[in-house]
Amino acid sequence: MVDFQIWLVRTFARATPVATMMKTAWGWPAAESVHFIGLCLLVGAIFLFDLRLIGVAKRIPIGALHRLIPWGLAGFAMTAGSGILFVLTEPDQYVYNPAFHFKMLFMVTAGLNASAFYVTSYRKATAPGAPDEAPRLAKIIAVVSLSLWIGVIVAGRLITFHRPFPCGPEGPGFLAQCLPNYYR
Amino acid sequence: LNAFFFWLEATALSTWVRESTSAFAFPAILSAHAIGMGLAAGVNAAIAIRLLGFAPRVPPRELHRFARVMWIGVWLNTASGLLLLIGYPTKALTNPVFYLKLSLIAVGMWLYVLMTRQILSDDGGAGSDSRPGDRRPGLSGRASMASAPAARFLGAASLACWAGAVTTGRLLAYTAHRILASW
Repeated sequence: MVDFQIWLVRTFARATPVATMMKTAWGWPAAESVHFIGLCLLVGAIFLFDLRLIGVAKRIPIGALHRLIPWGLAGFAMTAGSGILFVLTEPDQYVYNPAFHFKMLFMVTAGLNASAFYVTSYRKATAPGAPDEAPRLAKIIAVVSLSLWIGVIVAGRLITFHRPFPCGPEGPGFLAQCLPNYYR
Repeated sequence: LNAFFFWLEATALSTWVRESTSAFAFPAILSAHAIGMGLAAGVNAAIAIRLLGFAPRVPPRELHRFARVMWIGVWLNTASGLLLLIGYPTKALTNPVFYLKLSLIAVGMWLYVLMTRQILSDDGGAGSDSRPGDRRPGLSGRASMASAPAARFLGAASLACWAGAVTTGRLLAYTAHRILASW
């Protein structure tokens, strides 16, 4: 596993034009802003849809609110696109980082969970004349989805607290103590 | 003001926010701040997107049901934001970008009130979807104020405002020229 991680870091580190762009004064902050705006879109679409499945705002037809999902996918594209830039720029900060591992695990599981919704419940829940109440399975999937995405956000925030470099070998450091010196 | 920063940064709470190695200190506060941001800006974005004319079969006034989610986000971020401010008062209060961020949030909340008024004044959307057999796209949007230019402008302004608030919030980590009063 460690060998694989080292290979991964070396492979990602070859994307030097990306790193050059990201290490300009505005590169990293701009990508982070895109990452967080994408997060808001993703939450705005996916959380609200999940809450609707659970039973909030029952007078909105499930199929009607599903039209928000493409906006959530756009938000995800923003987070994924900017996220890849982070990993390509500082691969060792992510590949060796347990918080990042959990984030990816939660994300992939959330994707599978969403697929389960489309396979099992989407038609039933959005058919013309479908009842206001979502099928029980869809509700369970929605609760799992909310939990996983909260997990993704929390794990994502925790990435900052594990920095093998440049904060030194003393272990996790706080954002404010590590970043300004490094990116200046 | 510097004396105030010195005093505040020496308090137990401020020191705890900065230096505690507990997962419930800085990491939890930052996580709460990110989740609250998603909830507050996310619900605003959903309403704004509807006002722009997308998701036309969503009855605009029913989006008000998510108001509580928005307010949970706002209070979560007020609380976590205050803790971050107590931890690093010099860092935030000596940075002009911090005041820009707060202003954008204030404008965003004002736009939220206006958007809420807009969707609640909308009576064309609420009942029309329950009419059986009527599946015309854009039904509720067409009959309602939610497709009016004013509504579209509100939606666009809200999206821009929250994007600005999020961006300036992120920039706080890079634009601070002082971190602590003693530095």
